[in-house]
Amino acid sequence: MIDPFAISMILIVVLALFGISVGLAMFSGSMLYLILMDAQFPRGFDPSIGPETMLQGLFNGYTLLAIPLFILAADIMNIGSLADRLLKFCQALVGRFRGGLGQVNVVSSVIFSGMSGSAVADAVGMGKIIIGLMTRDGKYSPAYAAAITAATATVGPIIPPSIPMVLYALVSDQSVGYLFAAGMVPGLLMALMMGFTNYVIARKRDFPTDTEVPLRELPRVTYEAFPALMLPVILLGGIYGGVMTPTEAAAVAAAYALIISTILYRSVSPKAFWDALRGGSRSAGSIGVLIGGSMTFNYVITREDIPNTLAMFLQGFDLSQTGFLIAVNILILLLGCVIEGGAIILIVVPILIPTVQAMGIDLVHFGVIAVVNAMIGLITPPYGLLLFIVSNITEQPIGRVIKEVWPFIIALLLALILITFAPDFVLWFPRLLGYQG
Amino acid sequence: MSKLRALTDWVANWGNHLTAALLFSMFVVFVLQILFRYVLGLPVLWTVEWVTIAWLWGILFSFTFVMRTGDMIRLDIVYNAVSLKWQRAMDVVGGLTVAAIFGYTLPHAWDYVTFMGIERTAAFLWPFDVVFAIYIPFHIAIIVRMLLLAVDGFTGANHHLESESSDND
Repeated sequence: MIDPFAISMILIVVLALFGISVGLAMFSGSMLYLILMDAQFPRGFDPSIGPETMLQGLFNGYTLLAIPLFILAADIMNIGSLADRLLKFCQALVGRFRGGLGQVNVVSSVIFSGMSGSAVADAVGMGKIIIGLMTRDGKYSPAYAAAITAATATVGPIIPPSIPMVLYALVSDQSVGYLFAAGMVPGLLMALMMGFTNYVIARKRDFPTDTEVPLRELPRVTYEAFPALMLPVILLGGIYGGVMTPTEAAAVAAAYALIISTILYRSVSPKAFWDALRGGSRSAGSIGVLIGGSMTFNYVITREDIPNTLAMFLQGFDLSQTGFLIAVNILILLLGCVIEGGAIILIVVPILIPTVQAMGIDLVHFGVIAVVNAMIGLITPPYGLLLFIVSNITEQPIGRVIKEVWPFIIALLLALILITFAPDFVLWFPRLLGYQG
Repeated sequence: MSKLRALTDWVANWGNHLTAALLFSMFVVFVLQILFRYVLGLPVLWTVEWVTIAWLWGILFSFTFVMRTGDMIRLDIVYNAVSLKWQRAMDVVGGLTVAAIFGYTLPHAWDYVTFMGIERTAAFLWPFDVVFAIYIPFHIAIIVRMLLLAVDGFTGANHHLESESSDND
């Protein structure tokens, strides 16, 4: 007797490797499962469950609505002069240090990540501009500029807001607000690690300091960037003050970015705004298909009781929390080398959740671990989405970028170790806001 | 063939305007929702419903009419590493398999969507078969796209071109 579950899983892997979109591959595998099960047990299964699961899932997934709006917000910020002003502010702030523009890269990523929830948006927006600055006078090699931009972009979805955290909230049933809060301190730690890495490399290779902006210029630059700098404050204040849900915060972020870009900075034309909507709706569509496919896939693994079976199986090994977390970190990092981050959270994490609970690991803490892992996966060769993006921007061969990105990967892994084994460090901030965990 | 291409380009272009309008409506309605609740003190139901329907339609419509292969989240590491001959073979096998699965299940999908006509949404009181209607073109689009993929793989038509142009999309 053929096992429908095994066959459909094999089909998903084969289709995905054949270059069919990952969401569609999952949807196809799940449909095949339903067809085969229907043939064996005509009463309990019907292929119409596939469309039903997808439609109901998308229709009832209120939290998910934050995703298209965060994408839109980031697109608006990227087309306006908002990014430029932020960069000038960062340059005035940290450009004076050794490897100045590298530090500017780190700090601007931190600020931008307080407004956008996507690493890709960070790399293509701010990242593109700062790569231009770093390579203009041959001060930094294009490969190094590309590598540090990709590495710092990983902070984007760790510091709130965050699209991957929204996806994690969907599969783990945790509060988006607390998940966002839990990313705050780890995100800053990652940024610190990368700033330090840049400092060490800058000293070794004698990178220049940036043209020093006189300190008396600082108030003016700050004033010009001030409306943009307020956005993270409004977002986080709104969410944690209980004024708005994270989903509404996404709409507010987009509205705020639009208002300051059009009225205050006069840098976004109606046409540019419409183009942002067009692009944003396309990106939302591609991530939506992935989410829809993973919903049908999750139906299958739940139906087969895979997550609980795995939990029982692993309990048989008497694995300690530490051992389990190490294993999970390695697993997600390896998967991250070949699968896109959002897909990992939607596919792998739901299978692990019951085990995580059985181990007594806090689900918010685990969310941060999973997302940090998945984001590091965006810069690990051979398949790191951010690596492709920055090598495309700089027109550098991907191999050269990979060579430069290693020190940053190591720095991020060190941060990951601390994040994994010091739950109090991660949960400190959410607890401050009332999280009982 | 080039006429067909021009037609699909035209549809994709206008479809994209429509999805942009849907996204814009989500954005506006959300802002209205916040205004209603905090400024006017009136919590409303229809806003959430509109936004979820726009999101659902946006995704499925986008896949059906707008998106190109290059827009999708794919794992192309193996695909790009093999020779053209293998790529074509993968397209034929993958395309036909998926098309067969979705061809077989099309009546089931139709049954589900039409069956949902018995329920109505909470705020607008729209019947669910209308709300979910976009699923049927989506399901058919999967079949058509996959058949085209298989045919292209079989004939080798614009295969070389496809992999280059998809990067620019």
